[in-house]
Amino acid sequence: MNHSSADDEALVKAARQGDLAAFEELVFRHRDSLYARALSLTRHEQDAVDLSQEAWVKGWQRLAQFQGESRFATWMTRIVINLCLDHLRRQKRHRTDSIEELEEERGGVERHMPVVNLNPTAGLERAELRKKIDAALGQLTPEHRTVLVLHEFEDMEYKAVAAAVGCSVGTVMSRLYYARRKMAALLASAREES
Amino acid sequence: MNPEEQLKVQALLDGELPEREARETLSWTQRDSAAAGLLAELKNTRQALAQSGPRAGLPESREFFWSKIEREIQRLELRLTPRPKASLAVVLRRWILPAAAVGLVIAGVAAYFHGRTAPVEALMDAGAPVVETILADGDATIYRDVREGTTLVWFSPAAGSDPARNPKPNAVN
Repeated sequence: MNHSSADDEALVKAARQGDLAAFEELVFRHRDSLYARALSLTRHEQDAVDLSQEAWVKGWQRLAQFQGESRFATWMTRIVINLCLDHLRRQKRHRTDSIEELEEERGGVERHMPVVNLNPTAGLERAELRKKIDAALGQLTPEHRTVLVLHEFEDMEYKAVAAAVGCSVGTVMSRLYYARRKMAALLASAREES
Repeated sequence: MNPEEQLKVQALLDGELPEREARETLSWTQRDSAAAGLLAELKNTRQALAQSGPRAGLPESREFFWSKIEREIQRLELRLTPRPKASLAVVLRRWILPAAAVGLVIAGVAAYFHGRTAPVEALMDAGAPVVETILADGDATIYRDVREGTTLVWFSPAAGSDPARNPKPNAVN
């Protein structure tokens, strides 16, 4: 079997039969996207590397459970997201929130934010915009960022996000609302600065 | 706008409202400038995120990244592989022989101490010949062999007595 020319489905089938080289090819193909997802949630390079590696090991162990109802990359992304959420929960237990974060968590701050009338990202180069968005994401609390990432980048519905994060749909809605409004404000101020 | 209305605008954008409610909310946002402004802002933010979602490349080489995954997989596979059943020889060597050796040592030590302290009756019960010295009667010595059914008594003359009175041991049976 020529691993580099085989499609994901064939590689998964081979890997299920113990072909480690086939699995290596799958890792090679999707490692960056998995790492990017882990990084967007954890905001920590080494944690993202470790968690994405852990996800690949878990993926190998659970290959028999993969029934092909979604794409392999989507299935693997769900694994890394779950690991990241567990990681963030563990971190939350040891973290002391600032007063500002607690207020954000409770909600209501976003009601006082002025609406950004202009598109803050218009006219920006893709690379520049990506940089600004990345910086703005870094300024959100893990709770808000998680909801935003799952909804915007993973196209998960409110109900699915609530199930993944372990909170109510109402909480997801208010966290998402706050995260979006804060992102808009941060992007607008970043544009003014530049 | 109250918080409920704000979240309704967002739900409209995300396609999370039932059809009828979506229609009503849309028509409301067209009439209300604040709602329209909010909807535009949320739309812009969503668009920006969709266009430029975070993209990152692993900071490690393919080989290095894979080597750690491979090592972990191999370690787990090794742990999950069932151990072969130990052969009889291995069981004997590992458990039975040492246990037997310990048992023998204990039995030997017990027998040694038991032999040193066993009363005459116990030895007699076992049928071993016994020699007793009865000091009360001067120099009488008894030899008993239960197995043979024999008892011999020696009378050794005390110092100063007549040796002719008890020249030989008497057999009593």
